[in-house]
Amino acid sequence: MATVTLDKLCKRYEKSHDLAVDHVDLAVAHGEFMVLLGPSGCGKSTTLRMIAGLEAISSGSLAIDGRVVNEVPARDRDIAMVFQSYALYPHMTVRDNLAFGLRRRRIDGAEIARRVDDVAGTLGLAPLLERKPFALSGGQRQRVALGRAIVRDPKVFLFDEPLSNLDASLRVSTRAELIRLHRRLGATMIYVTHDQVEAMTMGSRICIMNHGKVVQIGAPLEVYRRPADTFVASFLGNPPMNLVKATVENGQLILGAARLALSPALLATAGTARALTFGVRPEDLAQSSGGEGSFGAEVTAVEPLGAETIATLRIDGSESELNARLGRDANVKVGERIHLRPDLGRVRLFDAASGVALN
Amino acid sequence: MHRLQRAVVLFALCVFTAFAAGPFFWVATMSLRTTSEISRDHYAWPGTLHWNKFPDAWFNSNYSTYFQNSLLVVVSAVIILTLVGAMAAHCFARYRFKLNRFFYFIIFSTIIFPPQITIIALFQILVQYGLFNSLIGLTLVYVAFQLPITVYILESFFARIPGDLFEAARIDGYSEMAIFWRISLPIALPALSTTIILNTILLWNEFLYAVVLITDEDKRTLPLGIQRFMGDQMEDIGMISTGLMIAIIPVVLIYAFFSEKLIQGMTAGAVK
Repeated sequence: MATVTLDKLCKRYEKSHDLAVDHVDLAVAHGEFMVLLGPSGCGKSTTLRMIAGLEAISSGSLAIDGRVVNEVPARDRDIAMVFQSYALYPHMTVRDNLAFGLRRRRIDGAEIARRVDDVAGTLGLAPLLERKPFALSGGQRQRVALGRAIVRDPKVFLFDEPLSNLDASLRVSTRAELIRLHRRLGATMIYVTHDQVEAMTMGSRICIMNHGKVVQIGAPLEVYRRPADTFVASFLGNPPMNLVKATVENGQLILGAARLALSPALLATAGTARALTFGVRPEDLAQSSGGEGSFGAEVTAVEPLGAETIATLRIDGSESELNARLGRDANVKVGERIHLRPDLGRVRLFDAASGVALN
Repeated sequence: MHRLQRAVVLFALCVFTAFAAGPFFWVATMSLRTTSEISRDHYAWPGTLHWNKFPDAWFNSNYSTYFQNSLLVVVSAVIILTLVGAMAAHCFARYRFKLNRFFYFIIFSTIIFPPQITIIALFQILVQYGLFNSLIGLTLVYVAFQLPITVYILESFFARIPGDLFEAARIDGYSEMAIFWRISLPIALPALSTTIILNTILLWNEFLYAVVLITDEDKRTLPLGIQRFMGDQMEDIGMISTGLMIAIIPVVLIYAFFSEKLIQGMTAGAVK
C-alpha cells in the first residue's frame, strides 16, 4: 500500500504547443481506488503513464509514498500496470508470463512457484498455466494480465482501460471481480477509463479530466449530484444532466414561458437578473398536474426502456429540449403537452458564461 | 470443371518442378560420372556410380580446406549479421531519437549500390588495414554487404511488435538490454530465421568479393575452389559437378531445417 501524490504535474509533447497534462494536482490515499475519467484525449492515460514511469514528466512532481520519483525508472517504482491490450508476452506460457516479473527480482524459485500457483488459484487460471496467450479467450487473457500485476505485490496498481476490449457481459463480471480484488488486497489502485459506469461503480473517488486539466475530484455520487461545471454535468449520467438557458428576475427563475420560485438559498447564490444555465437530472423531473413550481412542455420523443421511460420534451416558450426519466408506466405520447416539476433541492445553477457551478 | 482446374494446376506445378529441380538433378548425375563419360553423352544416366569422386575431391583436390574456409567465413558473418542487425533494427524500430529515420535511410540506401561499384574502394581499405587476402577481411566485407538488407527485414518486423509488451517488461523490472534478449529476439524468431537463411545461402554462394579479395590457395572458399577446375584449355566438368554437389548439400540441409520458419517469417502478421 502506498500514497501517490501529483503536484502540478505537466506533460508537453515535443513540437506541441498545448500541454497534454496541465498542472494536475491529485492525492491518492493508502488503499484508495482512484478513477481517472474523461473523454478521449483528455490526458488521463498520459497522467497514468507518467505515474508508471513510461512518459517523462515535463514539470511538477510525482511522489509515491512520499518519495519523489520523477527521475526514477519504471522498474524501480514498484508499481504494476494492466494494459488495455493486456500486453501478454506471446512467446511465454501463462506460468512464465506470471513469473516473469518475479524472476527479475531474484526471488527464490520455490517462492515464485508458490506465488504463481496462489494467484492462478485465485483467478481460476490453474488449468491454463501451460498454455500460451494465443490459446486463451479475451477474458482469460485479461485475468492473466491481472494475475501478472497481483503476483508482484506492488505498492500501486495502475489500470489503463483494462475492460474496454471485453464484451459487455464479461465486462460486468470482471468489474465485480476487480471490486472484490480491491477489497481483498486493500491496495492503492489508479484506474483510467472513459466509461462512466465503471467509474461510478468502482471508484472510491473519481477524478474527472478535460483538456489535460482536473475538473473535479470527489466520491462518485457527490460528483454525480454536484457537478462542478457544465462539462461534468453533461459528461456524467445517461442521459446526462439537462442544461437549459435561464435567467433570474425578481427572485424567480425564468425558464421559457414558466416562472419558478427559487428557495432563498438558491437565490442568494444565483444573485439577481443574470444569465444562468439551469441544470437538472432527468430523474429529478416528475410529471405533475401543473401549478406552482412546475412548467409545461411538449413531448417530442418517447423511449420506453421497460424499467423506465425516457421522454424528450420542449419547454413551453423556449427552443430548449430536455430529458425526463419517467416511471415505467408513464403513458405519454409524442405531441402531448405535460407538466413537469423539478426537484429544486437537487437542481444546479451554473454561470452561463464560464459554466462553473454557483450553488 | 473442378478436375480440369486441378489438372491444369498439377501440370503447371510439374513444369515448374522440372524447371527448378532439373538442373540440380542433372548436376547430381554428372557428379557421379567422369569427365570423359560426360563428353561422350551429356545427358546419359551414370553407368557406373563413381562415388569415389567425392572423397577424391575432398582429400586430393583441397575441397576439405575450401569447405572449412566457407564454413568459417559464412558462420561468423551470419552470427555477427544476426546480432548486430537485430540490435540495430530493435533500436530503429523502438526508440525515438533525433535523426532516427535519417540513419535508417542512409543504411538502407546502400542497398542500391551494386558490388562492382564498391569493390575497388573495399580492396584499398582492406590492403591498408592488412586485411586483404585474409578470412577475417572477407568476413567483415560480407557483414557490411548484407547488413542493410538484414536491418531492413528485421526493422519492419520489430516495428510490428506492440509497444505495450516492451512497456510491460520495463515495469516488470527489465533493463533495455534484457528486454532485447528476452522479448524482442524470441518474438522475432521467424524473422531472424528468414535473415539467417537468406544470408547463409547468399554468402555461401558469393563469388565476386571472394575472387577479388582472396588470392592464397589455402584461403579459397568453395565457389573459388570450383573455379579452379575451369582451365583456359579445358574444363573438368566431372569434378566441377562433384564440387557443386559438395557446395550445395549444406544449403539444402539448412533450407530443409529452417524452411518452415522461413515461410512463417515471410508471411508473419501482427504479433498479438
